[in-house]
Formats: sequence, structure tokens, C-alpha cells
Amino acid sequence: MTTTTLGHIIEVGNTVPNTHIYCAVQENETLVLLDNLAIKETHSMFFKSLKERGYSLTFKLADDAGLVLSKYGEFIYNHLIIFSPSVQEFGGNLSVDTITEFIDGGGNVLIAGSSLSGDALRELASECGFEIDEEGAAVIDHLNYDVSDSGSHTLVVADAANLIDAPVIVGNKDIPPLLYQGTGLIADAENPLVLKVLTASSTAYSHVPDQGIKDFPHAVGKKTLLIAALQARNNARVVFSGSLYFFSDEAFTSPVQKQSGGKKYPVSGNQQVAVALSKWVLKENGVLRVKSVAHHLVGATSPPPSYTIMDEVVYTLGLEKKTPAGWVPHDVDDLQMEFVRIDPFVRTTMSRKSPGSYLSIFTIPDVYGVYQFKVDYKRIGYTNIYSSTQVSVRPLEHTQYERFIASAYPYYASAFSMMLGVFLFSFVFLHYKEEPVKSKHE
Amino acid sequence: MSPEKQETLLKLSVLSLAAILSFATRLFSVLRFESVIHEFDPYFNYRTTRFLAEEGFYKFHNWFDDRAWYPLGRIIGGTIYPGLMVTSAVLYHIMQFINITIDIRNVCVFLAPFFSSLTTIITYLLTKELKDSGSGLVAAAMISIVPGYISRSVAGSYDNEAIAIFCMLLTYYMWIKSVKTGSILWSALAAVAYFYMVSSWGGYVFLINLIPMHVLTLMITGRFSHRIYVAYSILYCLGTMLSMQISFVGFQPVQSSEHMLALGVFGLCQLHGLVDYLRSKLTPTDFEILFRAVAVGTATVTVIIGTILTVTGKIAPWTGRFYTLLDPSYAKNHIPIIASVSEHQPTSWSSFYFDLQILVFLFPAGLYFCFAHLTDANIFLILYGVTSIYFAGVMVRLMLVLAPVMCILSGIAVSSMLHTYMKQVDPDKNVEKKKNKLESNFVMKSEIATVFVALMTFLLMTYTFHCTWVTSEAYSSPSIVLSARTHDGSQIIFDDFREAYYWLRMNTEEDARVMSWWDYGYQITAMANRTILVDNNTWNNTHISRVGQAMASSEEAAYAIMRELDVDYVLVIFGGVVGYSSDDINKFLWMVRIGGSTERGAHIKETDYYSPTGEFRVDKEGSQTLLNSLMYKMCYYRFGQVYSEGGKPPGYDRVRGAEIGNKDFELDVLEEAYTTEHWLVRIYKVKSLRNRGV
Repeated sequence: MTTTTLGHIIEVGNTVPNTHIYCAVQENETLVLLDNLAIKETHSMFFKSLKERGYSLTFKLADDAGLVLSKYGEFIYNHLIIFSPSVQEFGGNLSVDTITEFIDGGGNVLIAGSSLSGDALRELASECGFEIDEEGAAVIDHLNYDVSDSGSHTLVVADAANLIDAPVIVGNKDIPPLLYQGTGLIADAENPLVLKVLTASSTAYSHVPDQGIKDFPHAVGKKTLLIAALQARNNARVVFSGSLYFFSDEAFTSPVQKQSGGKKYPVSGNQQVAVALSKWVLKENGVLRVKSVAHHLVGATSPPPSYTIMDEVVYTLGLEKKTPAGWVPHDVDDLQMEFVRIDPFVRTTMSRKSPGSYLSIFTIPDVYGVYQFKVDYKRIGYTNIYSSTQVSVRPLEHTQYERFIASAYPYYASAFSMMLGVFLFSFVFLHYKEEPVKSKHE
Repeated sequence: MSPEKQETLLKLSVLSLAAILSFATRLFSVLRFESVIHEFDPYFNYRTTRFLAEEGFYKFHNWFDDRAWYPLGRIIGGTIYPGLMVTSAVLYHIMQFINITIDIRNVCVFLAPFFSSLTTIITYLLTKELKDSGSGLVAAAMISIVPGYISRSVAGSYDNEAIAIFCMLLTYYMWIKSVKTGSILWSALAAVAYFYMVSSWGGYVFLINLIPMHVLTLMITGRFSHRIYVAYSILYCLGTMLSMQISFVGFQPVQSSEHMLALGVFGLCQLHGLVDYLRSKLTPTDFEILFRAVAVGTATVTVIIGTILTVTGKIAPWTGRFYTLLDPSYAKNHIPIIASVSEHQPTSWSSFYFDLQILVFLFPAGLYFCFAHLTDANIFLILYGVTSIYFAGVMVRLMLVLAPVMCILSGIAVSSMLHTYMKQVDPDKNVEKKKNKLESNFVMKSEIATVFVALMTFLLMTYTFHCTWVTSEAYSSPSIVLSARTHDGSQIIFDDFREAYYWLRMNTEEDARVMSWWDYGYQITAMANRTILVDNNTWNNTHISRVGQAMASSEEAAYAIMRELDVDYVLVIFGGVVGYSSDDINKFLWMVRIGGSTERGAHIKETDYYSPTGEFRVDKEGSQTLLNSLMYKMCYYRFGQVYSEGGKPPGYDRVRGAEIGNKDFELDVLEEAYTTEHWLVRIYKVKSLRNRGV
């Protein structure tokens, strides 16, 4: 049976299902890059939660001369966490190019910036479809700032309601407000893959705090992204937060209360969101795979070499979700399949046969050609499921037409009566002997 | 030996020599290169023959090919004339049966020369029926080496025409026989021969119009007789029913306009027979009245029925290919896909001489001799000659139909003239016989005759040399392997096509889809065994147009089309490095025209691809649309750094004779996958969507 895992895009090209199985890499090797080793302490709660979930973290300074991501063409880490906002240039073998290669090779990256983000992060961000506001700029909100703010109104209180509506990424949204201090991000409008995980409230903007505003700020209101994410086409995940503070112990433990009055929460929602985000970006959450694809005629069990037009065909697909306990069936009710030859000829919602197994029975259209069974299931936060199976649909064989057509019976009758008539006629013609006319001669 | 036996021996030896010669002269390409299939269409025929030989007839008949015309597919069994493949497969199985273990490829390669030998023999028989055996021998000798026929029947040129000419002449022979004898046996045999012809070539339409035309002419000239009646009625009925068994022909014989002449003449035959019968039974006055009534009535009914059937679409409208026969400019103005095929171009005067040499001059002489002794059979020959010379003038490929009749008529001319003059070379010998006749005894009779015979010998010798030269120089290159001469005169072989196809076969996914212009479709399926979008069977104009649009568009627009059609690789032929002039840039305007000929390609206009001065040029002066089209970029990618010819700047295109105008560019949606040794074939891989969306 056709199987792939962990966000590899499935391309099943043959009628004969291939049997490749890509095993999920068990190691959770994670490289953490820091500006200075103090961050390890100031963000210990976040790192601790990762360690508890089984990640082996390797802490390095971002400008360490011995940095490497891959050896002999193989990546030695599965995940990369960059908590070094101010880095101008990565050390060792690491560069923006190698990191984008790492993403294209399937690696996941969590990046946190600050209002003093360096060039390296800027470049990396633009490679992933978002931009960091100019140097020194910070998100400012004169209405929604925390009581403990120092006066520049940069310690922003973000409502949980501004989180993206996808529990698989951010977890439960019914949590205390979030504390955020850092720069604003702007999403590339052209890029369809960027997810706006957390937006600022409508009264916020991003600007350098101590300067007067002469030009229109780059990011204003809801357009200002605080946390952005990208799920690449190969399902590698990237999360970019404009604030390193967001993940800090201080943010995790601080009480939160809007200056403009409002409820006081004893502790902010940062930890919940940060953990949920880390679960998503490190592919603990929202990872689906196609377990199996099968198609055959109604009443058969294995696929024929090619289908014939008007055949009744059964297409089944198994869907699985990754959980800490392993792969379990995944239940949805909006899975659609298409039967495509340039345009979809059939498009139906598949019915659930058993948990995680979906089925669609339909009649092949009366048009021959090379078709594909396609399932293209994209839901925010989940792995993109794309499965296409190519089959040929042939026209009727010469023996599959009706042998006798009811409306043609008069013609059959006429043909046979004609044959009989000719036979009788020639029989008579050949054997009829004219009586010699005797009388006249004699 | 008695004179009769001597004559028979002479005839036999001349004929067998001609047959052997016709086989041998077609082997240049095999000796020079190797036993390989030539050109484009033969590769498809070869592939289908192999399938037939391996899988059997029913599998072949029901074969749905999902490798061609992705994603439409093609019903092979129902869209080809199977005669060629069946012939080869039968020969192959016979040989296997008698333990001659010949490869199916070699059967295919040598089938055309073999059938040329048979054609030589059948030409002798046909000419013998039309005139005499002397003419037959000359005609047979001529057809064995006539370039017009060799062009389509060299070893390796495994195409329908290879056997179709034999089938056509066989049918004519049977037809003449049945016209002469009026026997049912010969007519039935003619029908069977006609069936073989129908099964092997679409050109049978010429035949099924020529024979009725012959009958019609005989009727008009008052030569209609019971013999003709029997011969035609049997041939038409049996032939039509048999031809409908070929699934590609189907119901066309009773529906399409091209076959209506045959049907009409069949009806006319019956009427003519009835009229003759009535005339013999009725008084002249009664007959007159009846005749008028019936004539008017029939005419009216025919017109009404014809109109109704045409309006309801039962009689297929005249197809484009048929219009081109009548009006050479039709296709050019209306159907670019027909006009673009090189063999559909009008014939130039020089190619008549090139392909037929002295036959061009002997042809009218032959016609004269036919008119001099007009018979039922000769009328057929005259009609055949006149119609085919017209059609050959319209379309280059129909030169093939003209060549046999040219040979027959020239054979008759040469033989008749020599017959007259040979006797006079040595007058004393014939004195005894001719004493009685009062011959005008002009002076120097013997000398004139000798000079004439010498001249004729000289002409025939030049014909032989010309034919051999043309065969060797023009028609014996396999076009899949190219050869050229270097400065110092040594030969270099460009085997880039096969190199590229083997690369595709070995390095791409089994079900990879390759987009190329349709010319290379058959070769890619046969040699690379990969799925292709369009091929030489140009049945779907829309699909070809879509590919043309992709080639003519900018990269971005092309990418959308290529994604829509699931293209994995794109293959282009580029001759700029070695100076191979029939490459894709030179064909590019056709892609533009065909691409723009459908609704979805309406934005592609030919004029956008010309420079402001109205020229098609690839240098800096060229139009920006051309310089940024996908085809241009694929052909000239990295070419700007290449020195192709000494003393010229880099990026000098040796075919167009110009330095290319757009040198420094990168490909966004494609990446170069392979370029052959001499850059003749370039293969690009279509990139998938960008991983990070930017």
C-alpha cells in the first residue's frame, strides 16, 4: 500500500501502488542558537518544557565558528531554534542560505527577534515570506499596554482573541492575555503560505519609540504581525516571533493587566501559547499522513490495469494523525476527492467508512483518457495532504458493445431474406430449362 | 532455344534484374549508417508493429495508448490503417515459422525495399495489360529506380506509403483485368486488392475517385458495356463493404463527400443498365418520354436527398485536407496545422525534375501514344496520369502517386518509339517483311534511327545516373542520425537525437510527461518510452495549440499551462551550434500560428513576434515578445557564452546567422536537465512550485 509520512508530499503515479515507506526520524536533535548564554537562563522554562518532551537541545552561540547544520549531505539536526535577535552574521557554516536549504530539506525553524534584530534575521525572514520592521522599531500600543510598562508603551498586551483561529497551532484560545515586547512583522501579501498567528490590536503600530512620527508607519493596526508562521510546501514549519521576550521566564510568570483598566490576571497566557506553538512548529501537532490509497472496481479487490468508461469504481483513502503515542486514525468530515483529466470530471465528499478510512464510489464518465484520483486536503495548521494516483480509462473493447441491437432487427431480417431470395433465384435461374419451342420448327 | 523461349528468358531476366535493383538501390542508408528506422512516422509504425507482433491482433485492435496525447490518450486500433503493421507481423511470423529468426525491426526496415520489388513486378503486369510486354519491361525498369518513389521507400522508411503504392497498382491491375474481361472473379479480386489498399493508406480516396471517374468517362464516351457494369458493380459493393471493416474508415464510404462520386457512379451504372434494357424493349418515342420523366425525377430526388443529408450532417462536410487538393491556398488561410506540415506544401517545379527527371518529358509522349490507340484501359491510364499530375502539383507528398504513372507512360513512350526506330536501324534485315507495304522511303533512314536510338540510350543512362545520385545524396539519410563534412573533408556523425532519447529513457521517471513540439512525439514514445503530450498524429488541434501557446508565451504564462498539463520535462531541438536548420526556432512561427488559432490562444498574435521592420529575427532587433518567449529562452539558455564559430562573437547562431539578442537571462520555472553533445537536443525539467512560496 502506498504510504508516506511526515509531510512528504505524496505522488503516487502508477496504477500499481508503490511501497515506499519513509520512516519518521526518531531523534529530536535540536540546535538552539543564542546571542549569549544568559538567554539559556532567562528562557529556562521554555527550554525545560522542550526537554521534558524529549528534545535533545544543543545550545550554541549564534556566531560560534563551529556551527554546522549538515554533514556529508545529511542534516544532523531536525529542528533549529534561533533565539539570537541581534546576530548580524551566523558563524561557521551557517548562513541564511544554509538555513533556507534546511527548511527546503524538511527542517523546522523557530525564530525570535526583537526590536534590535540583526541583518541575518531580516534576510531569513524575507526568505520565509515576512519582513521585520526597521531597526529599532517596536510595536507600540498606547491603549493596550501592561501596567508594568516603563513608559514607552512597548510592553503590549495582546488579547488571545487576536490569535489565529486554529487550535492546532495555538492551542486553547480561552486564556489570559499575552505579553509582547518586540518588533512588528509584515506579511508578504504575495505569499499564500504565510499564517498570521498573532496580530496586534487595531490601536497598535510599529515604530521607533523615541522618534517623532513623520512618515506613515510600516505596520499599523491589525496588519502588524506579532507572530507569523509558514508551512512550506514540503510541510517544513517556520515560526517567527517579533519578540524574544514572549518566550522568556519573565513573560511566562508576569501578571498581566491592561493599563487602560481591565481585569488583572495573575499570570499571562504566554506559556500556554509558547508551548502550543513549539509543539506545532516541532511537528508534534497537526501532522497528518495518507496511510493508504486503493482503488478498484466495485466487487473487486485489486486495481485493473486500466478502467473502462462507465465503470463503477471504488476509491479509498486512509488518513492518520501523529500523536505522542504513534499514528492514529484521523477523523474529518470534509475530505473531498476529485477525478481529474485537466478538469475535474467528478468531485465528491468522501464518506467515512471506519475511523480514518474514507471511501468514494462513483461512475467513471463516458470520456476516455488518463485520469488522476486526487485528494488535495489543506487545512490551516495541518500537514498538506496531496495524493494523486494516475489511471487510464479506456474506451469499450470491440467485444463490449451490444452484439444485437433491438432496433436493427428489421435489417437483420431483410439481410437474411435477401440472401435466401438470391439463393432461390439463382437456383431457379440455373436449373430452369426453357421448353424448346417445337411447334414452329416442326 | 526457340525464339519464344528466348523471349521469355529475356523478359524474366530483365524483370528479375529490375526487381533486385529496386531492392538494392534502397539500401544506401543501411550500408552507410545502420539498420535503423528513419524519420518520425516510421517510429510510430515500428512501435505499433512490435506491439502487434508481441501481443496479437485483438490486443492491437483494442489498444488504447495512454502514453500519447496525455491526458487524452489515443485509441490506436481505431485511428490507424493497420495494413502495414499486419503485413510486417505476418511476414515476421512466417519467417519465424520457417526458422528464419529475423528481428521484427529488420522486417520493418526492409519491408519497403521488398515491396518496391513487388511494385516493379506489378508495374510490368499493369503496363503489359495496358500496352504490351515491351513497355512493361521499360516501365518496370524505370519504376525500380524512380526517385519520386524511392523518397518514400528506402530501407528504414517504414511508412504506409511503402506498401500502399504496391496495393494501388495491384488494384489498378485487377481493375484493368476486370474491365477487359468483365469477369466476376477479377472484379472480386480487385475488391480484395482495394481492401488491402484501404487498410494501408488514407490515399485510397484517390483510388476510389479515380475508378468511378474512369467508369463515368467510359459512359460519356459511349464505351459503357456489360463488362464495365459487372466490373464496377462488383468492385463497388464488395470494396465498400470490405473497406468499412477498417475501423478507422468506418462509415465514411457512405457518409463523407469524398466517397460520394463512387456512390453516384454506382447509381448511374444501374440507371444506365436499366435504360439500355428499356431501349431494347420499347419503341423510340415511348422510350424518349419515359427517359425524360425518369431523368428529371431522378435529378430532383437526388438533389433533395443530398441537401437534406448535408443539412442534417449525415454527409460529412468536406474535410480540410480535401479542400487543399482543390485550392492550394485554402489550408494556408484556414488551417495552420495542415499548412505547417512540410509534405503538404505545394510542389516546386524543380522538384518535378528532381524526382522524375526524363519522365517529365516522356510523359506527354506516352499520353500521345495512349490517345493514338484509345481503348477502355488506356482511358484509365490517361485519367490516372492527368489527375495525379494535378494533385502532385498541389501537395509534395502526392508525387508518390504520380511517379508510377509517369513510369508507365514513359515506358510506353520509350518502348513505342524504340519499337519504331529499332526496326529502321538495320533496314536490310526488315526489307523482306516490308516489301509489300508501301513505305515512304525517306533518306538516311538508318542513320536517323541510329542517332535516335543512341540519344535514347544516352537519356536512359543519364536517368540511371541521376536516380542513383538522388537516392544516394538526398533520400538515404535516416534524419535520426545526421552527418556533416568538416573542413578537412572527413565525416562527422551527429547522433544527438538518440543520445537525448536514451537519456530520457534512463534518467527520468517511468511515467514522466515530456512536452515537445509534435514533430518529435513519435520518436519520444518509441525511443524514450515516455508519455508525451502531442505527436505526429495531429488529430487534436486544440491540444497542439495548447502546447504551441506554452512555447510562445512568457515563462510565467507557460508555467501555468505546463502545470495544467502536468508536464515534467520539456524537450527542444536547437540547431544553432551545428547549423541544423530544421530546428524549433525555425518552426517557431508555426507554433505561434497554431497556438493563436484557438480561442484560448487568441492573445497570441503572429505580428508580435516580428521586429518593427516585419522580420523574424533573433538578434537585438528582434521583437521583445520573441526574445522573452519560452521557446527562445529554452533554445538560447547559456548560449550567450558559447563560441560557435570562429571570428564571431559568443552566442552566434549559425542557422540564423546572427548574434542572439537576449544573452544574459536565467530560467525561473525550468532548470536545464540535459543538453546533448552538439546542443541539438536540450531537455529541461519543470520546477515544482516554490517551497516557501516566494
